[in-house]
Amino acid sequence: MYRYNFLYEFKLLLRSGWMQILSLLLLGLFCFATINGNQKVLKRKQDIHSAKVEVKESDANMLSLLDSVENGMEVSASRWTIPSSPTAVGNYYPRVAAMDPQPLSFVSTGQSDLFTHYVKPTMAGDDFTLNFTEIISPVQQLFGSFDLAFVIVYLLPLIIIAFSYNILSAERESGSLKLLASQPISIHTWVLQKISLRFLLTLILTVIILTIVFVFLVSGNNFKGLFDVIITTAAYILFWFSLAFAVNLRVGDSSKNAIVLLGLWVVFVLLVPSVLNQLGNTLYPMPSRTLMINKMRNLKEEATEKQDEILDNFLRDHPEYALNDPNQSRQFYHRYMASQKLVKEKLEPVTLEFERQLERQQALVSKFRWLSPAIIAQESLNILSGTSTADYENYRKQVIGFAETWRNHLTPLLYNNEPFTSSKYGELPSFNYHPIRLKNNMIASLIIMIVSIGIGFVAYMIAFKGNVSKLIIS
Amino acid sequence: MIRNTFIKEITELARDGRVKIAFFIVLVLLGISTWISSRQYNSTNQQYAEAKNAERSIWNNQGEKNPHSAAHYGTYAFKPKYPLSLIDQGVDKYAGTSIFLEAHNRNEAQFSQAADQTGLARFGDLTPDFILLFIIPLLIVLLGYNAFTKEREMRTLVLIKSQGIAPWKLVLGKWTALFLPILVIMALVIVGAGIILSNLEDFGVFRWSNLGILFLVYICYYIVFVNLVLIVSSKSKKSSISLVLSLAIWIIACFVAPKAASNFAETKHPYPTRQEFAANILKDKQEGLDGHDPWNKQAKLLEQEVLREYNVDSLHQLPFNFDAYRMQKGEEHNAEVYFKHYKYLKSQFEGQTKVYVGLATLSPFLPTRFLSMGVANTDYSTHWDFSDAAEDYRIRMQAFLNNDFAKNSSHGDWSYKAEEATWKKLPAFEYSPPQLAEILSRNSSNIIVLVAWLLGSFSFLFITIKLR
Amino acid sequence: MITTDNLTKQYGETIVLNQLNLNIGANEIYCLLGANGAGKTTTINLLLGFIKPTSGSAFINGLCVSEEYIKTKQYLAYIPENLMLYPTLTAVENLKYFSGIGGKNLSKSQSEDFLNEAGLQKNAFNSRISTFSKGMRQKVGISIALAKDAKSLLLDEPTSGLDPKSSNEFGQLLHKLKDNGVSILMATHDLFRAKDTGTHIGIMKNGQLRQEYATKDISLPELEQAYLEAMNYKEFVS
Repeated sequence: MYRYNFLYEFKLLLRSGWMQILSLLLLGLFCFATINGNQKVLKRKQDIHSAKVEVKESDANMLSLLDSVENGMEVSASRWTIPSSPTAVGNYYPRVAAMDPQPLSFVSTGQSDLFTHYVKPTMAGDDFTLNFTEIISPVQQLFGSFDLAFVIVYLLPLIIIAFSYNILSAERESGSLKLLASQPISIHTWVLQKISLRFLLTLILTVIILTIVFVFLVSGNNFKGLFDVIITTAAYILFWFSLAFAVNLRVGDSSKNAIVLLGLWVVFVLLVPSVLNQLGNTLYPMPSRTLMINKMRNLKEEATEKQDEILDNFLRDHPEYALNDPNQSRQFYHRYMASQKLVKEKLEPVTLEFERQLERQQALVSKFRWLSPAIIAQESLNILSGTSTADYENYRKQVIGFAETWRNHLTPLLYNNEPFTSSKYGELPSFNYHPIRLKNNMIASLIIMIVSIGIGFVAYMIAFKGNVSKLIIS
Repeated sequence: MIRNTFIKEITELARDGRVKIAFFIVLVLLGISTWISSRQYNSTNQQYAEAKNAERSIWNNQGEKNPHSAAHYGTYAFKPKYPLSLIDQGVDKYAGTSIFLEAHNRNEAQFSQAADQTGLARFGDLTPDFILLFIIPLLIVLLGYNAFTKEREMRTLVLIKSQGIAPWKLVLGKWTALFLPILVIMALVIVGAGIILSNLEDFGVFRWSNLGILFLVYICYYIVFVNLVLIVSSKSKKSSISLVLSLAIWIIACFVAPKAASNFAETKHPYPTRQEFAANILKDKQEGLDGHDPWNKQAKLLEQEVLREYNVDSLHQLPFNFDAYRMQKGEEHNAEVYFKHYKYLKSQFEGQTKVYVGLATLSPFLPTRFLSMGVANTDYSTHWDFSDAAEDYRIRMQAFLNNDFAKNSSHGDWSYKAEEATWKKLPAFEYSPPQLAEILSRNSSNIIVLVAWLLGSFSFLFITIKLR
Repeated sequence: MITTDNLTKQYGETIVLNQLNLNIGANEIYCLLGANGAGKTTTINLLLGFIKPTSGSAFINGLCVSEEYIKTKQYLAYIPENLMLYPTLTAVENLKYFSGIGGKNLSKSQSEDFLNEAGLQKNAFNSRISTFSKGMRQKVGISIALAKDAKSLLLDEPTSGLDPKSSNEFGQLLHKLKDNGVSILMATHDLFRAKDTGTHIGIMKNGQLRQEYATKDISLPELEQAYLEAMNYKEFVS
């Protein structure tokens, strides 16, 4: 009985052209999306690479300048850019702090079109004005990117809906249902068999196509990553099929089924996320950036007025800086660095508030994300790709940490009025991005699978207890 | 006959529970989103006014200072929200809101809202434009997918045909019945928004004419959808097939085409990264005059030129402070460098715009989206306009400060301090967005594409209609 | 064997079938006559278990339909009024599919034997159903019943829309089945076919069985008279 249903369902799907359309559609969408995603990743790699090459060149230049200075030769560069001064090194020879793409970055654009992937923090720069956003047409950000995550989260459910909205109703409308119902098989079981076949076919096709795409379109074989993406996708596909199953058993004619399923799509994919986002913004509103600027300006103004005093205090707190400087020659940068530090400390509560609100919003989201598997799927894919909000927050923190290291490495030289020499070049700190350790996305996927099976089971039981005539006779 | 069809269709729709529920949901969503938007609009503008005044008073009260220190101290230009952003937020979320105006550097607008939000923000916001652009077309699909197929399925089409009605009259009746509810919703939205906006206190200048154009744009968009849905319905054998086809059109037009277009646009006309852009500018700047560096090659040339011009042998004999003069020349050189690089950026942006217009032939969503944002002053062009205006102001501000420095001090006199009253003399930064006529002429290609969609779909609907 | 015991179906206040008692034994073709809405299709749906009776029971082969929903299906075959099969499958494939999900696996030659027995011409065995006429589809339906070796056959208006020749062939097929010991219940409007094919005739009105005849005891004109009288019964009383 199972064998027959499966075999003939497969035959029917082949003959009606559904299988061919589905395969081509999925193949086309997945390939296009992967090519797009991969292009972005390649550009990102290229950008980082050329930035690093540039730093290498400027370092070579720095070393040759240092060599000249150390040998007492005249150099043809602006006075304040000569690297024997530690501030010149700190400001004009910064390091590249790059966020390298993860092996799966092509899967989901996530937040990567909002933020830059490398910055060069300088000694004099403000951490809070370090601009992490990228120059990109905001129209692109508004429209979003046609990536694998979009195909999986948005389009795959629609394809599933088109593939399964009328399993039962089409039979009823064409008239073959009555004949079927006069066979010794329960209609629910029969629908279950049909829809599980379609689920299996979709799953197998998706797995095959994903594998093709991973092997042929992306450099480097990443089977662990492929497996993770497949698990997330499989859970999501199962969810939509179980909804389709429930709707097939509960609702009437084909058009009604399609409308109900589409309504569910709108709710899960469009409405729940935007309402949740709105809720986060309303409950934990971001403080105003414009007002933050005012505050920063006022603090800076105060700091500039009291620069000498600040420097005195600073040196009192850090006597080690004042020790080796017999001349106590104070220059612009001495005062500047000290007041900068003070402003930073004073502004910290304000900037922290932004981080904290974002964390609160994120906490709210992760609590309520269970309301929509679309959110979970998107987030899982973002996390796998290393393009989630958390990844960029992590990168930002690492960069700010590195900026601090960079500053702290050179500040003692500044206050001790010690020159920077070529022998110190090797000790310059460099930035290494440490991606967040991947949390296992299996659990979320597993929960979605269990919930989906639950939905299917409940629908099956309700239909089983209910009146069979509703299904057969419209 | 048209009237009969219209009345029958409207009655059928009004008696369909699904239609009533869908209608109700759309209205509730519109209400909620408008309420949220107006709240945001108010608070953003309050913050804007507050920040603008505070910034000006910081500038005015910076005390006695060397004008060049004041130039480095700089000031901020803040971007206000415009009244029609209540209806269409456009790219506001992704574009920065404040530009730091300082000596030597043109800065990008900073602090976009999206960068301060969770990844969820990328799914979209519950704003009126989301409902108007995505949900109402979906409503049209739901109301109209079975306009013809139901007649075919219930075999009433044969009856209708036997009554001898001209096909175009039947189509027009159905068209009107489908279009009228949408017209009512849109009118409600526009009138509601107009009332809210005219009751708001003096934030921005609200004009009914802009709102009227917005109304027309959306109405065109909806008519295109009504036509498409009716075409599909008249050509399909079964309601369910018609529904799936109409939905496919909706998804391709509203989701797939814009995203694909954004990828094409980026691949064809890529922007440099922020760091690359900055590095290129720095390189060009270094090749020219450095206002701060008297040993710079270009600075030496300038010095000789000025000495020759005034026929003096030393800089001290000049009637102005040469340091400030050089600084101003350096500033002008920088401005040119920025102009060149931003022009390149702008040419990329224009290239991208062309890609979008080209792909708009595949999706009526694209011209509508761009027109709507344009009229609401929330599009990318307005952002460019604002940032250009800020740069213009920055150049004038530097000239003002350098001139003051040059006039009131002599060469080498870096200790000169301008009195506090000087700062007030610098006019405040004022920006007014492009006017309607300019917006429309800038978006003329989008208007043409939308009208082409309108006429094309109309003629296709009425010419090919055959009641099979 | 097809039996009903005080079978009643009510929708709210409306009684669509009122205490129907039928007993159709082997080698019998029982024709249910009646106007539209008389309760013929309801009877068949109740026998199929598609709807549940308000009271009373329906039995197939002595098994209560509402208790043994799946099991009774093994003993009955059903051909709906407008028999629709899968248009993209061939006759053989349709037969194999329906038998297969019923738990009976047929080989190709077995399937062809049944189709042959049902009177379908040989060249149509491997053509797709989308090219079939109604009569041909009905033959495939019969072949499904044959393959199942069902002892009870339910037919809902099987001859409506068939040309006289096909209709006649169909009647002969039913006779053959009857002679093999099948109990047949056929709902129809066609007095001529009922008289010609049936062994028993029942006339229904408003959910009630008004008259029962054995075909051999009644001529066609008498049957027509009886039918019209039954239809006007109410008017007679008032």
